[in-house]
Amino acid sequence: MNRNIIISTGFHFIIIMITTLSLPFLLKTPIDLPPIISIELIQISDKTSIPFAPKAKKIIEKIKKEEAERVVSEQAPPKKIKKEKPDAVPLPNEKIDKVKKIEEKKQNPEKIETEIKQVSEFEKKELFDPNNIAALIDKSKEDFAETSKTTNKVTQSQDRNAEPSGLSLNEEDALKAQIFGCWSIPLGLPYNENLLVRIKLQLKPDGTVVKSEILDHVRMNKPGQGFYKVLAESALRAIRLCQPLRVPTTGYERWKDLQLNFDAREMLEG
Amino acid sequence: MTLSKILKNTFLVLMASLILTACATTKKVSMDNQMQGDVYTGTDTVEYLASGVPDRVFFATNESILTTASRDTLRKQATWLRANSEITVVLEGHADERGTREYNLALGERRANSAKDYLMTYGVSASRISVISYGKERPVDAGSNPLSWSKNRRSVTVKAN
Amino acid sequence: MKFLRILTILLLIQFKAYALIEVDITRGNLSPLPVAVSPLSPDKKSITEFEKILNVKDLGSEISIIVENNLRQSGLFNPLEKDAFLQKPDIAHFKPRFEDWKLIKAQALITGKVEIIDEKLRVEFRLWDVLAAKEMLAIAFTTVPTNWRRVGHIITDKVYERLTGEKGYFDTRLIYVAEEGPKTKRIKKLAIMDQDGFNLKYLTLGNELVLTPRFNPTNQMVTYLSYFRNLPRVYLLDIETGVQEVVGDFPGMTFAPRFSPDGKKIIMSFATDGNSDIYTMDLENRVVERITNYPSIDTSPSYSPDGKYICFNSDRSGYQQIYVMKSDGSSVKRISFGNGIYGTPVWSPRGDLIAFTKLHKGKFYIGVMRIDGKGERLLTENFYQEAPSWSPNGRVLVFYRETKTDDKGEGFSAKLWSIDLTCYNERQVPTKSDASDPSWSSLLSN
Repeated sequence: MNRNIIISTGFHFIIIMITTLSLPFLLKTPIDLPPIISIELIQISDKTSIPFAPKAKKIIEKIKKEEAERVVSEQAPPKKIKKEKPDAVPLPNEKIDKVKKIEEKKQNPEKIETEIKQVSEFEKKELFDPNNIAALIDKSKEDFAETSKTTNKVTQSQDRNAEPSGLSLNEEDALKAQIFGCWSIPLGLPYNENLLVRIKLQLKPDGTVVKSEILDHVRMNKPGQGFYKVLAESALRAIRLCQPLRVPTTGYERWKDLQLNFDAREMLEG
Repeated sequence: MTLSKILKNTFLVLMASLILTACATTKKVSMDNQMQGDVYTGTDTVEYLASGVPDRVFFATNESILTTASRDTLRKQATWLRANSEITVVLEGHADERGTREYNLALGERRANSAKDYLMTYGVSASRISVISYGKERPVDAGSNPLSWSKNRRSVTVKAN
Repeated sequence: MKFLRILTILLLIQFKAYALIEVDITRGNLSPLPVAVSPLSPDKKSITEFEKILNVKDLGSEISIIVENNLRQSGLFNPLEKDAFLQKPDIAHFKPRFEDWKLIKAQALITGKVEIIDEKLRVEFRLWDVLAAKEMLAIAFTTVPTNWRRVGHIITDKVYERLTGEKGYFDTRLIYVAEEGPKTKRIKKLAIMDQDGFNLKYLTLGNELVLTPRFNPTNQMVTYLSYFRNLPRVYLLDIETGVQEVVGDFPGMTFAPRFSPDGKKIIMSFATDGNSDIYTMDLENRVVERITNYPSIDTSPSYSPDGKYICFNSDRSGYQQIYVMKSDGSSVKRISFGNGIYGTPVWSPRGDLIAFTKLHKGKFYIGVMRIDGKGERLLTENFYQEAPSWSPNGRVLVFYRETKTDDKGEGFSAKLWSIDLTCYNERQVPTKSDASDPSWSSLLSN
């Protein structure tokens, strides 16, 4: 037994010596690594619907300059000068960051730019310049087509109108993050059914709910869809628990009617 | 690279691989005494119906086929039974624990019948042999390793009177 | 043309002004729902009656503890500590002060009252949505006082159904094999208990080996395999009377028995000459029918809930696999094709899935697949585990596990475990002794 060990150790040593002397034909061929492509994670800018830029030209120029200024919109009489406010929504805690990353994946960067282009229609001074308007209309028609394409990709709801959300990404993230934390998804739901509940809310400026309406409430009492009632109730509980909702501090007219689309499918399919 | 160099290297590598394979574990050597493939060949748990007549045969996992050794044992049993014609026996079929309970009951029955059929071909009348299966309920070895399991895959001939 | 363009712009502006903002909520938390279970309040007269008849102090509190434990064990609810409750049970039952309950973070509240009327136990309970401040459920029922534990289970079932949309599984029992002794000579007895471990009762004495028991659809009879007089045969046992009788008059081992969904037949395997096939016997007219006829081991049959199909275990392809056939034995089709050996197929009470045991590369798995064999999902892996049995709502599986023994052959134990269909909430089911071969009853109440 011992003899075997000694002989074995001896030969093992010999082998190691041999390999360290690099037997040439055992050399591995160098691996051909593809060249490294550098990727830049572009921060999606927080531009939102610009109220009514004084001149469409100016806006287009600004886009070309590529700034990341934030603009909060407010529908006011046309003669008002464009305001620039820093986004008042409280900023990053970790939740929002994570959510933002997911949003980045979903969002098509083009979406923002088309928003800005569209809004220039509000401009009323320019109405008297036919050429400019002609240019804008043509552009906007294209943009409309583009937006409807992109929004179809992004949203799950089929009834969604062609316009993108009126909240800035940051505002939307903040609200989502808040509700994510409040929504206790009932675990007993069947994961292979349609688990979408759409709830329309009427809000007060401080974020409390005045009225809530379940859009598919007919489903609540359908036989075989008992789980829908449970799902809808859990969504309502989430909203109640989260009051006051994390709403933007300005632009009340914009978001006083809000629709939340609760979809449990992603979480339950796992 | 010259031919001689290539040849030298090939020779070295061949030597190296031969040396490595020679490093077999010593454990296997002793295991070979008790198992051949998957079938237990040892004598640890074997009892004797009479001098030189082992009372049991062993099987591979999921199998009810008789090995050469098993047939040898059963021939001895048949001879002994023909010589003692008043004795009746019960063949108890067993399975190891690495299977579902109900299937193992059926497997034990199949193994016992395998032995019974063989005894019958060597002249033992069917009326003297009855069969019962215990599935995995009565292991002879409580261990949780392949050797223990192989000892439990068995058909045991038990005197009924 | 100019006019048209102006008009278009105006229309577009209109459109924009009334756009409804939509926000997609696609994530939430999967943590259990916080529920407060207030003790049921008894009326003064009943308190003394409870102690006298049932020998139970504080029945209202005891029942609420049963509800709490059930809810907690389901993994879907988080019952809150009673010490934090601000409102007394009797007031809470009629008009809960929702603010108080919101304070302790409860989202649902259960209150109730219990009393003895005409020697019967009458229970009334309510489920409240704390955040919406309204009543979700109000139910009253009467039962025999000795059924007081079932009151807790029935309340849990109703609450569970209202909050998850699924039928509950708490007013049920488990039948299993209680075991003890050395691994080479186990003593096995039939045992029956409430699904929460209480009211344990042994149905056999342990003098002979007993295996694989099953309830009939009304939970009054049990069928099982017994080695009585050293002859392994399928038996019937009446739970109430304890009377046992052998099923049929087979000239060989019968085993793996189950009831048909209508309770009229026993389906089982019959082994002879090295071959095992599936047979049924009508319990009324004792007619025996042969279902499979193949030179292979056919066993572990399981009816679909509508009684039209049977899934079973067969090694006709060389190794144990799962097959489905019509209940008359025709149209046999193999449905398991993955890597490994498949056994113990059990059809879900919902009819949509078949649970099974799988052995692959030395590891045992409990899994489910759709009835066409697709969508195989393995739920849990272990050194040894087998024999899943479905809860009546088709959401939870109970099965058993055995441990490895050490070099001396010691350390063997067998225990019951359960797991939710979504792989969530894997937990041991506590039993007094070692246990194996569990089978879940249907709901005791309707």
